[in-house]
Amino acid sequence: MNLEVEISGVKFKNPIIAASGTFGFGREFSKLINLDLFGGISTKGITLKKRTGNPQPRICEVYGGIINSVGLENPGVEAFVNDELPFLRRFDTKIIANINGFSKEEFVELAKIVSPLVDMLEVNLSCPNVKEGGMAFGKDPDKVYEITKEVKKISSCPVIVKLTPNVTDITELAKAAEKAGADAISLINTVSAMAIDIETRRPLIKMVTGGLSGPAIKPIAIRMVYECFQKVKIPIIGMGGIMNYKDAIEFFLAGATAIQIGTVNFVNPNAVLEIREGIENYLKAHGFKSVKDLVGNIII
Amino acid sequence: MKLLDVEIAENKMIANGIYLLSFESDYLAKTFKPGNFVNILVEKDSIYPLLRRPFSISFVKENKVFIGYKVVGIGTQILSRKKKGDTINILGPLGNSFLIERFDGKVAVVGGGVGIFPLLSLCHELKKAGNEVDVFLGFRSKSDLFFVDEFEKVSDNLFISTDDGSIGFKGNTVEFFKTKIAEGNYKVAFSCGPKPMLSAIKSLNLPFKCYVSLEEKMACGIGACLCCSIKGKEDNMLHVCSDGPVFDIMEVEI
Repeated sequence: MNLEVEISGVKFKNPIIAASGTFGFGREFSKLINLDLFGGISTKGITLKKRTGNPQPRICEVYGGIINSVGLENPGVEAFVNDELPFLRRFDTKIIANINGFSKEEFVELAKIVSPLVDMLEVNLSCPNVKEGGMAFGKDPDKVYEITKEVKKISSCPVIVKLTPNVTDITELAKAAEKAGADAISLINTVSAMAIDIETRRPLIKMVTGGLSGPAIKPIAIRMVYECFQKVKIPIIGMGGIMNYKDAIEFFLAGATAIQIGTVNFVNPNAVLEIREGIENYLKAHGFKSVKDLVGNIII
Repeated sequence: MKLLDVEIAENKMIANGIYLLSFESDYLAKTFKPGNFVNILVEKDSIYPLLRRPFSISFVKENKVFIGYKVVGIGTQILSRKKKGDTINILGPLGNSFLIERFDGKVAVVGGGVGIFPLLSLCHELKKAGNEVDVFLGFRSKSDLFFVDEFEKVSDNLFISTDDGSIGFKGNTVEFFKTKIAEGNYKVAFSCGPKPMLSAIKSLNLPFKCYVSLEEKMACGIGACLCCSIKGKEDNMLHVCSDGPVFDIMEVEI
């Protein structure tokens, strides 16, 4: 059974990628599972300078999901390149560096440093938990176009643009990314959300709002992948609430070429193995030869 | 650390809303060190609660692992309804452990509420290492007491405080501990309990080392999600799950 997928010349041995922000730099999970199981790993979002992130509490649980506001805590690009990348490179998996700038120039600088060292870049124009950059850029198609174009100019590896769902029409952003030369888009990042403790009358997240992930957002993500699939020709990496192989299959049918798994890693570190086996069994049972046969294969 | 399916041996209420759960695990029993915790999936394929829940390992007896917890939310409610023979999935042991050695002087152990749980095995090991151990435990009221007999066995002096004064010293355990510092000749202190209690201990500026076990909401338990980050004294970020849960009280912002 062929689980291999290709995105802009990069061959992934299977379509399952660890989602950025849920997997650190792989080191922690490597003590528990074989990282070779993943087709790819999208690393924790990195910035030019080290960031301490947002104050506590950073996480709360709601029906069907979690709201987080980590705020891009990371050791900065230098530590990423020197301390984390050499470790990750030991594994037989594609490395995607998730980069976060607070200006166009920062994105370009990050791309310049990191792109020669990784298999793909994921330009994060969708983090909901920082005041500048992130989602503020990602909501504006002109900004998406401008930043993508500049990053593409300098980048020596293919570029994925990660989109936010916190907009009226995500396809406008997808089209802007494609027009600017993005090799792929990934969606969806978390959905802006809020929860309140009725006893203390305080928000459950210190920053008041955060990003919702988990099963609750899956139907939104499926819809957005489906809509983008109609509007752009570049590959889509789908994510949002994938907990098992059935969720993964839904994403392929909606139009995703590959998937990222995030929140489920916290709940079930074996998810990658179970989802991979589940996809294989599904393909066999339904007479498909390859994951590629499923992409966009929805019957309306 | 490993992911393990374990069968519950016993899950009983030992005080008001406080439960003690046990299961057999050769692996955890062999690898466990006082201070370690586990991340429990209270319900498989559940969407609420979705995440695992962290619990300290209270003590280990032969190959049996004991975990104490208080029912506070949906996760612990579900856990409290589990019965002997039910299976739960456990990730552990996680985190670092308390420093155990023979200290040149007395040791103070200060616990409040459910923070008392990880201190029992600590006291056991401290005694085994040849220390003289004074234990200060704080509860809300007499009806909330648990583990008192067990702590009697592993301490030289046991001091109980209750908020309402229904037994022992009336007031909080840090206030009581403060009165004993001068005469105690302590070399080191260990503590676990609610944040205000640990913050009160920090403000005492103890003339000896103090190690505290901290708690923060977390998702992964292994240092990947960065949800349980706290500030270190040099504005560096530390992670309760992987750098802790045990920290030198002066090295962290509480």
